[in-house]
Amino acid sequence: MDFGFKISPSSAINLDNVDTVKFEQLHDMEPDVYKCMACGSCTSTCPANRFSGMSMRKVILALQRGKEKDVVSMMRNCMLCGKCTMVCPRGINTRHLILSICRIYREDGK
Amino acid sequence: MRERFLTGYNDFVLPFVFGMLFVLTYCLIGMIRLIMQLPAKDRKRFFLSLITPKILFKDIKDIFLKCLIHVDLWKRNKLLGYMHSSIAFGWFMIILVGHIEVFLYTSNLGIKALYYPIFFRYFVAETESTMKGSLIFFLMDFFLLVILSGIALAIIKRVRSRFFGMRRTTNPSFLDLVGLYSLWAIFPLRLLAESFTADISGGSFLTKSLNYVFTEFLSNHANMLPAWWAYSCALGIFFCVLPFTRYMHIPTEILLIPLRNAGIRIVNARKGLAKAQVYSCPSCGLCIDACPMGVMKSNIKDTTVYLNRQIRRNNEARIEEISDKCLLCAKCTAICPVGVEGDKLRIAQRSMRRYNFGPDYSNIDTSVLSEQCNKFVTNQNKNVSLTDSKRVLYFSGCMTALTPAIRKATESLLGKAGIEYEIMDRDGGICCGRPMFMAGRFDQAEQMVRKNTEIILGSGADTLLLSCPICYKIFREQYELPGITIIHHTELFGDLVSSGRLKVRKDDTKYVFHDPCELGRGCGIYEQPRQALSAAGDLVEAAKNRKESICCGGSLGSLTLSFEKRKAMTENALTNLTAASPDTIVTACPLCLNTFGRYADRPVEDIAQVLDRKTN
Amino acid sequence: MKENIVIIGGGIAGLEAAGQLLGLGYKPIIIEKSDRLGGHVADWNCLFPDMTPAKDVVGRLIAGATEANIFLNTEISFVNKLKDSYNIMLSNGISIITKIILVTTGFSVFDASKKEEYGYGVYDQVITNRDLEHWFNTGNDRRIDDCGMNAVGFVHCVGSRDEKAKNPQCSKVCCITAVKQAIELKQKFPETMVYCFYMDLRMFGKKYEDFYIGAQRDYGIRFIRGRVSEVSENIDGRVIVKAEDTLSGKPVKVTLDLLVLMAGMVCNPDSTKVANMISLPIDSDGFLKSRDNVADIIDSPKDGIFYAGACTGPKTVPETLAEARAAALKIHLYNKTMQ
Repeated sequence: MDFGFKISPSSAINLDNVDTVKFEQLHDMEPDVYKCMACGSCTSTCPANRFSGMSMRKVILALQRGKEKDVVSMMRNCMLCGKCTMVCPRGINTRHLILSICRIYREDGK
Repeated sequence: MRERFLTGYNDFVLPFVFGMLFVLTYCLIGMIRLIMQLPAKDRKRFFLSLITPKILFKDIKDIFLKCLIHVDLWKRNKLLGYMHSSIAFGWFMIILVGHIEVFLYTSNLGIKALYYPIFFRYFVAETESTMKGSLIFFLMDFFLLVILSGIALAIIKRVRSRFFGMRRTTNPSFLDLVGLYSLWAIFPLRLLAESFTADISGGSFLTKSLNYVFTEFLSNHANMLPAWWAYSCALGIFFCVLPFTRYMHIPTEILLIPLRNAGIRIVNARKGLAKAQVYSCPSCGLCIDACPMGVMKSNIKDTTVYLNRQIRRNNEARIEEISDKCLLCAKCTAICPVGVEGDKLRIAQRSMRRYNFGPDYSNIDTSVLSEQCNKFVTNQNKNVSLTDSKRVLYFSGCMTALTPAIRKATESLLGKAGIEYEIMDRDGGICCGRPMFMAGRFDQAEQMVRKNTEIILGSGADTLLLSCPICYKIFREQYELPGITIIHHTELFGDLVSSGRLKVRKDDTKYVFHDPCELGRGCGIYEQPRQALSAAGDLVEAAKNRKESICCGGSLGSLTLSFEKRKAMTENALTNLTAASPDTIVTACPLCLNTFGRYADRPVEDIAQVLDRKTN
Repeated sequence: MKENIVIIGGGIAGLEAAGQLLGLGYKPIIIEKSDRLGGHVADWNCLFPDMTPAKDVVGRLIAGATEANIFLNTEISFVNKLKDSYNIMLSNGISIITKIILVTTGFSVFDASKKEEYGYGVYDQVITNRDLEHWFNTGNDRRIDDCGMNAVGFVHCVGSRDEKAKNPQCSKVCCITAVKQAIELKQKFPETMVYCFYMDLRMFGKKYEDFYIGAQRDYGIRFIRGRVSEVSENIDGRVIVKAEDTLSGKPVKVTLDLLVLMAGMVCNPDSTKVANMISLPIDSDGFLKSRDNVADIIDSPKDGIFYAGACTGPKTVPETLAEARAAALKIHLYNKTMQ
């Protein structure tokens, strides 16, 4: 029945319902994905950030929270230049992480 | 010479004939398939090259010098060079002289032509007139001796590779061993077999003497046939296993050389030229010692020789592991005696990878970026006569943004030399595309190339200056920038110093120059940085330099090597650089600077920093 | 009490331990590499949390240790292990035989020029926490513009929590030092905007949180949660700092007149040298390894060799002094059991 309005879905992340299958798959390939301490160095140095809002920090966080769709659009303009790998204080191999994400996740979020 | 048997046939020739026919058919079919696998454009190019006299002559010369004489190996290691050329060239000469002999002394060959040149001495007997062929007899024995000396060295090498200055060598597979032992067996068996018949069909200093010395044994003709059988079997076994062993490199290299001379590049990761390179690998293992990853024992099986082996076995998991790990420093390519391009081969493997989604840069509006660097365009409208004919657009690159010292020194030097310049990526730009290209994602790299081309062509500059060798390589190879000189800062500063436009104060600081992979091996720039540094101080050389310079370990080429695992490589490269105890290590790549700076025990600087400090 | 006690390092740990040992009736020997006592603390201006002048603290410690045998400008050439004692050969030619050594070699300040992206040594407006304290002390630094600084930034964790800098550990005191220095700058230049770029603020000590609250409330210091990744130069010579404001999820860019790098604590190379001479183990963080990191932090795994202060890891001044006192007592008890 259409009342002409609907209750907008909650923006809260329910960790109970987050599908972690793909993230676990990613974690198997990239054990370092849990090492991120969200310092944001990668974001501020990223040349693609100004074009597509690419932020490796956000990508890692969004995947952990099951928000895969945001990730794909952010990664649209990644140039794989390696600056994020250079600045990461935790020594995460972000370039390979990006390639692994491109292999595991899909554009349509399925 | 007269024939000993009416039929001119004995059953013992069968193993050889079978093996030879098998290997010839195999190679012929393989060659046709390989050529068919080439893209149509390349195939045409290949056929054209074969009828171009200049290239054809080069093909023949290269095949002779490389496949038979092994000149590259001689230059590297005399003993290894002798070992290989003695076997290859000796064998070739025996076959050649053998054929001449047969055609000189027999008529009505027919089917016998298949085996007569190999087993001639069994089927003929010496006559009065044969002494005229004593030169041939001598040559046959001489080349047999040459081969035997090579085989002896090969046996020593197998037992003690250090004797040949090789620290590590490959582990042969089972079939390789079968091939190896049958190859070793062929020539002693031939000597034995021919010694049996030396008193009948003649011989020279080797066979005849043996026949005399061991007269009791070798003159007993009852033992003759088993020796000839064994000889033929060894040949047969060798030929039958050849396609499945590293010895496949012998026929493949003959094809690879004309392909290379035709200027064909790797397109498909497994077909065409890539396949020719993989099968041309003789498993000599020179790349193992050359590989900068080799300092860690766990990486030895990830060198190019093992990549080739895994590609032949279609072991996909290992191929991926090996090709993703590599730093792409291209040192294996530089030293490979047959010309396997380890780096390009790996990039090709990476390009086979399938991704669910990939970057796309069509949304990037280059006009915003162009506005940052349109100084020359507006200037030209206002004022046509510029102070300097050079209008330099400086693309410092992503990595240089993280090493501001290079950018600052470069800008300062440009100012001192009075060169008008404009920075293309002061506020960040689009990556040159080389890192993406290295990851094997060519379409995406191509998109970035197009975007940058738009910006550069719209800038009104006539020179594109680069600080980063990674950028420099792709700008030189993949960008089409008509009317624009692409130049690395080492070249520019080298020229400015030698032309006297930059006056450098010289002192007695000892400098060593590290050749960055992409600048040296990648683009062949070795001299200018050295000239410039010599003007600033005392230039010493690293233990291994220029073409054999050792990668700093920080390369973007490797996709999987983690940060910690690179440490040992960096330390090894530093040990190599500090062999002549320099005061300062100088490089010309932001990535090398960053990597060395982390572990070096003495100052590491970019060449621009050194020159900037020493000019007024 | 004839037993020789050798204290390696004349920083605050060495001085405090010497003072206590003198009080217990010993005559310790202090070996100091530089030409003055007090170590890093002597370079500092004021100490948190009460803004105690560092020279008062150091002066009191030196006064308490004057009776000790002090060798300045002296290094250890080599150490020979005898049966149950050590023969220490000094660079001034004196050799000492001792059964008890107290290692108080302290830390080194991380070399900020190793973080190339921050441009220390490249840009004139980039200094370190140590340079700033020096300026507080002397008022003499051409890089600091006494009048007309619009904006100043502090970068936390330079060479700490950084695997690339080979120092994965937290240097513990930089957070509070940055807050302290930010307040001090703000006191001098009330009009200047001060930014602190941090990853996590670790305000663990007594009254540290009060400092932080004061910095926010009373001084209006802006805390931005994001690590600085790039520093470039403006056309007018000021520096542009890029970071991500991770809380808003947006990159931030700010032009500054001064950028202060909070260089962290790393193991003193001299500690490693001493450790090699007496075969002491090194812990996984690069500092000297204690017998136990909970209960026996001042004990080395070797009998008769003790630690105090930052040679075993980053420490605050009160922690260092407490360890020095504990070490003095431990040495006293050890000496009694030997007899």
